[in-house]
Formats: sequence, C-alpha cells, structure tokens
Amino acid sequence: MFWLQQIFNGITQGSIYALMAIGYSIILGIIGLVTFVHGEVIMIGAFAGFFMVTFLKANFFLAVLAGFAASWLLGIIIERVCYRPFRSGPREIALIATIGLSILLRSLSQVTFGTEQKLMPDLLNSHFIPLGQIRITNIQLLIIFTVFILALLLHQFFYKTKTGIALRAVSMNKQAAALLGVHVNRTILLGNALGCALGGVSGVLLGIYYNSVHPVMGASVAMKAFTATVFGGIGSIPGAALGGILLGIFENLGVAIFSSGYRDIISFSILILILLIRPQGILGRKELER
Amino acid sequence: MSKKRLILALTIIFSIAGSVLAAPAGTVKIGLSAPITGNLAEYGENFKYSVLMAADKINANGGIRGRKLVVDIQDSKGDPKEAALIAQKFVQDQEILATIGEFSSTSSLAAAPIYERYGLVQLSPTASHPDFAKAGQYMFGIIGTQDAEGPFNAKYIAKKYLKLKSVAAIYVNNDWGLVTKDRFIEAARGEGIKVTSQQPFFETEKDFNAVLTKIRATNPEGIFIAAMYNEAALICRQIKKLGWNVKLMAPSSVFSEKLLEIGGEAVEGLATNTFFALTDPDPKVQVYINEFRKRAGRNPNLHAASAYDSALLLAEAIRKAGFNRKAIRDQLAQTKNFPGITGKITFTPVGDVVRKYKILVVENGQWVVKKDYTQ
Amino acid sequence: MASFKQKLVYFLSAIALLMFPWFIQNDYWLRVAIMIGLYIILASSLNLINGYTGQFNIGHAGFYCIGAYTAAILATRYHFSFWLLLPLSGIVAALFSILIGLATLRLKGIYFSMTTLGFSEIIRLTVLNWASLTRGPMGIPGIPLPELFGFHLASNRHFYYIVLALTGIMLFLSKRVISSRIGRAWIAIREDEDAARAMGVETFRYKLYNLIFGTFWAGVAGCFYAFFTSFISADSFTLDEGFSILAMVLVGGQGNLIGPVIGAASLTILPEIFRNMAQLRLVIFGAAILIMIYLRPQGLAGSSILSQKYHYPKIQRHSPPKHQGQQEVSP
Repeated sequence: MFWLQQIFNGITQGSIYALMAIGYSIILGIIGLVTFVHGEVIMIGAFAGFFMVTFLKANFFLAVLAGFAASWLLGIIIERVCYRPFRSGPREIALIATIGLSILLRSLSQVTFGTEQKLMPDLLNSHFIPLGQIRITNIQLLIIFTVFILALLLHQFFYKTKTGIALRAVSMNKQAAALLGVHVNRTILLGNALGCALGGVSGVLLGIYYNSVHPVMGASVAMKAFTATVFGGIGSIPGAALGGILLGIFENLGVAIFSSGYRDIISFSILILILLIRPQGILGRKELER
Repeated sequence: MSKKRLILALTIIFSIAGSVLAAPAGTVKIGLSAPITGNLAEYGENFKYSVLMAADKINANGGIRGRKLVVDIQDSKGDPKEAALIAQKFVQDQEILATIGEFSSTSSLAAAPIYERYGLVQLSPTASHPDFAKAGQYMFGIIGTQDAEGPFNAKYIAKKYLKLKSVAAIYVNNDWGLVTKDRFIEAARGEGIKVTSQQPFFETEKDFNAVLTKIRATNPEGIFIAAMYNEAALICRQIKKLGWNVKLMAPSSVFSEKLLEIGGEAVEGLATNTFFALTDPDPKVQVYINEFRKRAGRNPNLHAASAYDSALLLAEAIRKAGFNRKAIRDQLAQTKNFPGITGKITFTPVGDVVRKYKILVVENGQWVVKKDYTQ
Repeated sequence: MASFKQKLVYFLSAIALLMFPWFIQNDYWLRVAIMIGLYIILASSLNLINGYTGQFNIGHAGFYCIGAYTAAILATRYHFSFWLLLPLSGIVAALFSILIGLATLRLKGIYFSMTTLGFSEIIRLTVLNWASLTRGPMGIPGIPLPELFGFHLASNRHFYYIVLALTGIMLFLSKRVISSRIGRAWIAIREDEDAARAMGVETFRYKLYNLIFGTFWAGVAGCFYAFFTSFISADSFTLDEGFSILAMVLVGGQGNLIGPVIGAASLTILPEIFRNMAQLRLVIFGAAILIMIYLRPQGLAGSSILSQKYHYPKIQRHSPPKHQGQQEVSP
C-alpha cells in the first residue's frame, strides 16, 4: 500500500517531468544544443497561468492555454536572440547566450513580479478518489490526464501532419531537409516555440499541483527536464515521456527506501548507470551510439 | 581594436564607480549586506525595507549626534563568497562604522573572519547558528539561538499545548534547519516525547509527498516543520492533500502573513512561537507595522522586525560610543534591556540574545497569541 | 620562440602584477584580484578540457568542491600543511576524474556533459548528507592559516602572491603541455576525433590525460579557496557556480590560453561594478553577457584562426555548421 502510494505520487510528479522532457527533447533535437534558459521558460509559463487565474478568474483550460501561449512567444524571442544570430558560428556561443538570457529573465521577473512566492489558488475543490487502498486526488488525475492527452496529440502531430514530419526531418538532418524543400529556418523557429510552449504548460501544471509560483522556481526543475530527456533517449518523444515518469518514480522510491536527502543522488546515479549500459537512453535511437 | 576600447571602458567605469562611492561629510554610515537578488531575494528585501525605515526614523529625529545616518546597501546574492567580498569592502571603507547582515548563517560565517580581523561589528538580524556569535568578538546575533528556542518548542508547544506523545520532524537541509531540528529533537526526547522520524529536504524542493508519506507511515501524533514560511505552507498543504490529520508545529521562522496566504486552510491549528506579534499593543510596534505596510505593501514578519531592531540597536550604540568601531563594539556588547519592537534585548557574553517566546497559533486564518501555556 | 618584443611585454606585465598590491592600497580590490586569480585557475582548467579536446564538461564545480573539502577536512582534522594539501587536493580531484573518465569518456558530447552535471550534483549532495565527514550543511569553519617558515600568512597581500604564483605555474605548465605531443593530440581530437584515431592517436588515453590535468587544477583551486576564506560550505559549489565558470570560459573565448583569463577577470569585475544597482544588478549582468557575445561572438580574446572548424562559408545559411544529423546532438 505504502509502495503503491509512493509509486502513484511518482507517476504524477513524473508526468509533469515527462511534459517538460518532451519539450526539452524537441528543442534539443531541432537546435542541437543544450539550453540553459528552459527553467525561465517554465517559470514564465507558470506566471502566465497564475495571472490568468488570479486576475481573470480563468479556469484550468484557459490557464494551461495562457502558459502555452506565453512560453510560445518566449520561444520565438529565444530563437531570435540566442540561436539565429549565431547559427553560423561555433555552437558554444549560442549556449552562453542562453546562460546570459536566463540570468536576465530570472532577475527581471524578480524585479517585475516581486521576489515573493505567489499562491496559485486551487482551481477545483480537491477531493479524494479512493482507489483500492491508495489515495488519489482529483488534481493528480487531472494532471496525468492533461499530460497524456498532450502527449497523444504531439505523437499525432509528429507522425501525421506535414509540419510535424518537417520538424522531425530538420532535427535529423538540416541539409537534407533543406534539399527536400523544407523551410529550415521557419521549422527551427516553430520547433523551438513548440518545445518552449510545452515547458510553459508544465510550468502551469507545477504551479497548480504545488499551489505556488516563484520567479526562481525554474532552475531546479529544468535540470530534471534535462535529466529525464537523456534518461529516455534524445530525439524520442515516447522516450522522453517514459524518462520523465521513470524519473518521478525513482525519486519517490528513493525517498521511501533511503532518506529524502538522497533523492537526487539516487536519480542521478541511476541516470549515470543507464548511460553506461545504454548510452542512447532507454528508447533512444541506436545510431546515436558511437 | 576592441581590447583597447574595452580597457578604456573599464577604466572609465572604475573611476565613475570610485567617485560615486565617496559619501558626503557630516554623515554616519552603516553597511547592510543582504541578498537583494538571487534565490533569497525575498528575505533580503525585508531587511532593506526595515533598515531604511529605521534610518529615516533616526534622521527625522535629528540623526546620530547631529549627523545623518546613511545605509550602504550591498547585494550578496545569498552567496557566501560574495558576502565575504562585501565584508572586505565594508572594512576597507573607513566611513562605515558598523554593519548589519547577513541573512543566512553560512554567509554570515563566511564573512565573520574578515569582520573580526579588521574589527568591524557584524550584527545579524537572522543568523541563529550557535557558532555564529561565537565566531568572534565583533559578531552579534539578535534572533536568539536555537539553544533556547528548541527547548521552548519541545516543552511548551509540543508537550503542554499540543500534548504530543510522539512527534516527527521534517527539516530543510541547511545549517539553520539542521540545528533547529536537532535542538528540538533533543529537548523533545528530554520531555519524554517519542521521535518517530526525521527527514530532510532541500531548499528548492516543491514536492514533499514522498517524504510526508514516509513520515506518515511511522504514525506520529504531531509533525515539527523546520522550514521557512514558504516551504512550511506548501508542506502543510500537501499534508492536507494526503488527507492526513496530524498536529502541526514549527519554529518561529514560519511567522509571516505569507504562511496564511499560501497555506490557507491547511495551516489551521499550526502552532509556533514568536517574540514579535502584529497584535502587540505597544504603540511603537504599531507605528512600525503601519509604516512597513505602507512601504512594502504587506505586513512585516519576524525577519523584518528583527532587521529594524538591529538598525535601531546600532544607531543607539553609535550615539553612545561615538564614531569609533571598537568603541561601538564595546558599547553594543553592554546592551541591556534595549526596548526593541521584538522585545527587550540583552546580549549574552558571546553576543547572543535570550528571547522570551510566546505561543502563537493559527486560528480562523489569523495568528493568535496563546498566553496561558508559557507561565 | 617568443620575439624580444613579446618577452618585454611578458616581463613588464609580470612586474606590474608583482607590484599591484603596492600600487593599490585597497584591500577590497586586492580581494577582488585574488578572486580573479582563483577563477582564472578554474576557468583555465575548464578550458583545457572544453577548449582543447572538445569535451563538454558542465560540472566543473564538482571537482572544485572535492578539492576544497579535501583540503578543509585534512587541514582541520589532521593538521596537514597548506603546501602539502595544494597538490594533494588536486590529486584527489584528479582521482575522481579518472573514475568518471574511465566510465564515461567513451560517451559522446551531451552524454558526457550530462554525466559531469550529475556528478557535480552528486558530490554536492553527498557533502550535504555525509555529516560525519563533512559536517553536512553546517560547513567547515576555522580552516587554519597557511604557514611559511613558521610565519602565518594572513593578509590579503600574502594570498595575492600565492594565487599569482599558482596562476603563473598553471598557465606556464598548460602552455608547455599544449605545445607538447600530448597537447597536439588533444587538439587533433577536438578537430576531428575519428581522423585523430585514424592517425594513430589513442584518443581515449589522451582524453583521460586531459581530464586528469584539467581537474587537478580545479582541485588545487578548491584547496586555495578553502584556506583563503577559512570557512567553506556546500553553498559555494552549486551547479550555478559551475555554469558561471563555464560562462567565463565562453565569454573570454575558449581554445586559447588567454581567453579564460580575460573571461574570468571581466565576469568577476562586472558584478562588483554593478553592486550598487541593487535588484537590477543581475539584470544588467545578464544583459552584459548577451552584449559581449553579440559584439565578440568568438569571445573577448578569441581568434577565429585557432580552429579550422570554425570557418563556415557564409552562403550555407540554411544548413547547420557541423556534420549534420542527429549524431551531433551535443551541447
């Protein structure tokens, strides 16, 4: 019972990680670069949802939409500021640009939104749904459901629509994609915006699940997103989703078995072990390995 | 080309910075080292508002010995390395007579050797690490150490007020959290309360479900939450969402309007202690609270009040001792029954303050002082 | 061989650096200068790894942390001398890097980065959790002052000369190593690992040497830091610390020795200048990094002739700079 409860908590937390990881994985594929500004993307999304809920008394759906839209816009700005000007140079330059932008955005939002932690009001009366002996709240179910729906939609988008296929083509091979008539610049912009928008949605979900938004909330969760992406395998959307959920479960089981102080040590250790055994991640493509 | 220009630009910036730093004559300068930016900015802001308020109040009453009090605010980002650098800057500036800071014990301790070596007072409004005041003659802490608060929490809150037979602790894994938890647990065991579980968490964490589920499995009657008000509020909310009915208690760090705002119904019944209450009838406390609300747009918390007292305390010491760092330190060490808004302040020989605590409980979404249990 | 003019420049700047504490009678700026020296060692050692073999280590703070804690624990508990601990801390950090390297150097790009990041966090969290060894979150106070011939080195001036000497030795050795066989092997690996392997370079071995050499200096820097501040806690070795060392390397320009020096100096001085800006300080700092990158994308001291890899024909606007494909997903 205890273990089932822990695993279920892990799945809820993991499904938010999964959404972040999917977004991160899209960016990683399309830009080919680690980004350090993703934490701020998540934070801005969370604040967009927060303002929607507190000032416009919006419902869950609108809050998620606001997070999606705000981070989508931020994604466009990031592409213009950090990636496009340096496309022809060494990739480290774009990386340092994301570090600079991250510092700028985080401190700017402290100045504009205030430094305090903000309360995200409950969007629905939380109550329990008894499922056997474990306790599940309706909010947990809603979060898992939202992430599941989004993941399904994304899967359809990437495999069934022309734009989705173009995105995958660009992330595999930009030159070949250009030769086949894909508008590479526009696709990169779109991919980055989409990846960021998913980060924004996960920011809103984090805010709702933990009832709080904070200008400095992003940094630590962005690391989790990165970890989950590598966990599942870069360039694989089901992989990223699985990586996120597994990370959530490992974290919770780590606390249950050892002390809570060891939570991140355990998840990072498992990550390194997985990389040693299967460097391409759990569901990563084989050709990644060299 | 641009390297030369860079050097030129740097030279210009340096000279401007240098000229700005020189303060006008006829002033008294104290330093404030606090996290104005970074992850702890929220706490540094309280310091800034309160210390500036204190300075304005002193200046409105004619300043110190006819001189205007000026506060030199330096941002440490909450980084011990930067706190040490600021310490160096302050001790270097001969106009600075004493300093207030740092917020966290780690930063205060990192800066302590420098203040001590050069002989400049570092008065921390919040550092409650038992080693802090002992780090040197020039170190003073006014929040009161956990050596006194822990036994109070165990004896009066856990045993007499909540009547707990068993308790578990969840604590933030930093120096403050660890000491707070340890002192409480020691004292609770001394009172014959069974300790079922002790679990740490890290500062940036938001998800406490796993830890709480684990603690719940040990089935304690009460839980002691050694955390700042933000995290404490989230922990209480998650306890509620787990459907767990447990008695809540926490150290004085949770006393804040923010806890009520974020915690909502979930913090109902939470018991803590304080030596500063918003309902204190003392007019100078009420004047302070109103003024703070006007400037910051919210009610002050314990940290803010403590920073305000620190500034007044320093001003008083400077007034009595004159404009000499060593004399100010000696004067400060002799402080007896200084009437602060957080109560009477008397330093122990090492430079700590022993506080008189009151039990404070959340009832109907308000902080309520419980008088009956402390006598 | 350096020309006479170059030698003169070196000589004069050495004199200037030696005289610096006497010119500037200000302990605060002297302390800033010491911090710059410390970060020059850290950034340069990271540059050896990232700039010379093209590995991408983003968890340098972990090795720095190991060095600092090795020094602090051995000095406070077993009264080891500072001079012995300097190399010893470096060696301990390097031993950890062998562990990491043996396991992960075969991984490419991002996977190696991820491992270093994970390692850095594991080290910091272990320090926080293993209280019996490290005092956990309480930090280690009271690290004694270094001694030289029975004389306590206490003032900032002393520490300035120590860090100056360390930086000098570090840069000198780096220069020698880089122009040796080993260094050329590193550069060959950076330019094209497969080609290097085809030419008979044992890439794995040389990458490991590289990692050992780089992390050794991070450990030395940690030891210096511990003795300099006399109090250390895990707060000083966060991921952000690693990122800011990385930023110094990149802002200065990686792949040459002078770049990280300039990067470390400018990113240490800038926040000090902006310190009076209160809450806008970090906003300006972030903007300053962006502006510097726009003005000099190759880094403040970077030159584009260093690496042939960085010459891209301008016409390929729609194409990625490097070899294409998913394989190059790396930071």
